[in-house]
Amino acid sequence: MSEPLIIKQQTDKWQRISPIAMLYFIVKIILGLLGNIVYLAPAVIFGYKEIIAHPHIWLPVATLVLILIFIGTFLSFYFFQYRLSNGHIEIRSGVFSKKHINLPFTRIQNVKLEQPLYYRPFNYTCMQLDTAGSNKQEAKVVALKLDFAEALKQEILSQHHRQNIYSEDGTDSNDTLETDSEKTNDSINTNETLLNTRSLTDLIIHGLTNNRIWIFLGGLAPFFDDMGNAIANFFKSFGIDIEQFFMFADKSWWQIGLFALTLTFMAMLLLSLFSVAGAILSYYNFTLTKLGDRYIRRSGLLTKHEVTMRLSRLQMIVQQQDWLDIILKRMNVKFEQSNAHGGNYQPGAANNKIIIPSVKAYESQRLIDDVYPENKVHSVIYQGISKRFLLRNIGYFLSPIYIVIAIFLLYHSNFSVLLGATIAYLFISLLIFCRWKRWGYAVDKQFIYIRKGMLGVDYYCFPIYKVQQTQFVQSWFLKRHRLSVIKFVLAAGSQKIPFIDQKIGYHLIDNALFQVESSKRSWM
Amino acid sequence: MDLPHDNFSNQALSAEQLPKINQLNQQPLAPIYPKVRLALTASIFSILLIIGVLILNQPIIPLPDNATPIIHNILLMIAILAVVILIYIYFADQKKSYALRELDLHFTSGLVFRKTVSQPILRIQHVELKRGPIDRKVGLAKLQVFSAGGALHTFEIPGLPVEDAESIRQFIISHKDANNG
Repeated sequence: MSEPLIIKQQTDKWQRISPIAMLYFIVKIILGLLGNIVYLAPAVIFGYKEIIAHPHIWLPVATLVLILIFIGTFLSFYFFQYRLSNGHIEIRSGVFSKKHINLPFTRIQNVKLEQPLYYRPFNYTCMQLDTAGSNKQEAKVVALKLDFAEALKQEILSQHHRQNIYSEDGTDSNDTLETDSEKTNDSINTNETLLNTRSLTDLIIHGLTNNRIWIFLGGLAPFFDDMGNAIANFFKSFGIDIEQFFMFADKSWWQIGLFALTLTFMAMLLLSLFSVAGAILSYYNFTLTKLGDRYIRRSGLLTKHEVTMRLSRLQMIVQQQDWLDIILKRMNVKFEQSNAHGGNYQPGAANNKIIIPSVKAYESQRLIDDVYPENKVHSVIYQGISKRFLLRNIGYFLSPIYIVIAIFLLYHSNFSVLLGATIAYLFISLLIFCRWKRWGYAVDKQFIYIRKGMLGVDYYCFPIYKVQQTQFVQSWFLKRHRLSVIKFVLAAGSQKIPFIDQKIGYHLIDNALFQVESSKRSWM
Repeated sequence: MDLPHDNFSNQALSAEQLPKINQLNQQPLAPIYPKVRLALTASIFSILLIIGVLILNQPIIPLPDNATPIIHNILLMIAILAVVILIYIYFADQKKSYALRELDLHFTSGLVFRKTVSQPILRIQHVELKRGPIDRKVGLAKLQVFSAGGALHTFEIPGLPVEDAESIRQFIISHKDANNG
């Protein structure tokens, strides 16, 4: 390959990044200041008159702050250096507290390119390097030419494959991995295949469906007034007149109630708009492509994000469909990777997951089949969990609470509230019933499938050999009825199957442990 | 994706032939461990109660009148809680056990909710021995095993005699699987 050589010549010694990076640092500093605005705001508000009254004092101060920002920016830029040598990337940064990161390419799990709006005219990009392993070391090269970053990314990823082949050579059990990697090496120069794109309509739908709590409240809004009345009566029956608390001036309390209602509606509308805007911001121009065994997600309106994930890094596929999604016949598909990083240092990039938002059923099928061709998420028959789940949750938890409340209310002859409590009781029981109805599992030779949800349906599917740890739990109650709760811990989180026959539970765990230990396959 | 072919016998096994986690060779923890935990918990609660009693009877700062019954109630609640917790610990700690197999570790615990956690050695990322001052005094150690399952799912065996903990650690580190997965 010729690219790595070019990179080598260019970067064997320490070097600074392009001055364009100053833009990045200035934005970072300003964002940092804005983040602290909560603390600064009172000072600014109270000092405002002061500032206007004495410009000769405050103007220099403002200038000084600006100058400090610029100096800070320049120093951050000045002290940011990186070099590439022997398959390592080293980054030195920091003005006061110095940071030196030395990262072998082979330990880099993930390469993300992130292109903020202000980099786009100059064709620069940020490169974020994620490592595997328990210590959180992340590295970011703040400004690289786009084509250089692409070439570097290729080199890092291809080094990874080579290392894989050499280190795991000789052990038979790893030959699938090797063929995978070789395939990739061959296909590194071929074109990416496009798997999915999202149109603006899809994103608007996504924004709405992922804001469902507000829409749900919106549906309840017509009853707000009645509920308010009921609550007021409830307090009145104890001798508290809630109306007098709300007797502002000469307005009656229903006027204020109406006002509050309108306000709630406005807030909900606003939040929905925000949600849609958020969806568009992060998923605009969404594309999911595939290059060899790598899945690449690109999206973003202002800051373009690119997340690359190797197939072997995938831990679990999730298909989520909430009740609004069911009505609209849409679903979110997620490819989940290891979340050992905690994954919230980069909100815009939606950490390590690849989410394909609001796709249609056939698209979901196609995506999941592309990843795991042998999966049967949609065709397998799911086994339900025991009816004792209902008995435990409704019979032993919910009902006693309800009965105590009901007796209390009957004693006070408070029938309207009793009605409310009964409706709530029935509603929660219904939810528990839905939960029970949805919860199911299935197993085949390679995968464990779990279906769950309440109003919506979520499907989880993971290869059995990716399991990190298993748990088998049995309480006295469960033991008496030969039931068990089992849990599979994966690098992407844990999955529980409750209230299944203990024989099946034991078998699922024994089988999972056996598959992990006998296959000796790496989980990443 | 195809499975490695030499392990394909994997699928042919019937449920009866798999190694079973309900037939583990359970090992008890160090006999001193429940006693130490009991003593430790009891002393923490005693200190709390003693502080409460001291506050009530100290002559330095006069307490407001309505504070005394509140403190009385709090102390009573602490005492009841202490008794319940001590009884629970007494019985639960005797029920803790662990098991080693060639390829995985298991830890079983719980009084009302019996839980068996199984950790394949193949998936272990690193091992730690943790010893607090009291553990050092009585020669105990806690074995912690980390996998990619995250901090919430750290596999732990408390109350091991140091030598056992040390040899389990050595067993894991030198295990052929440990450097693979």
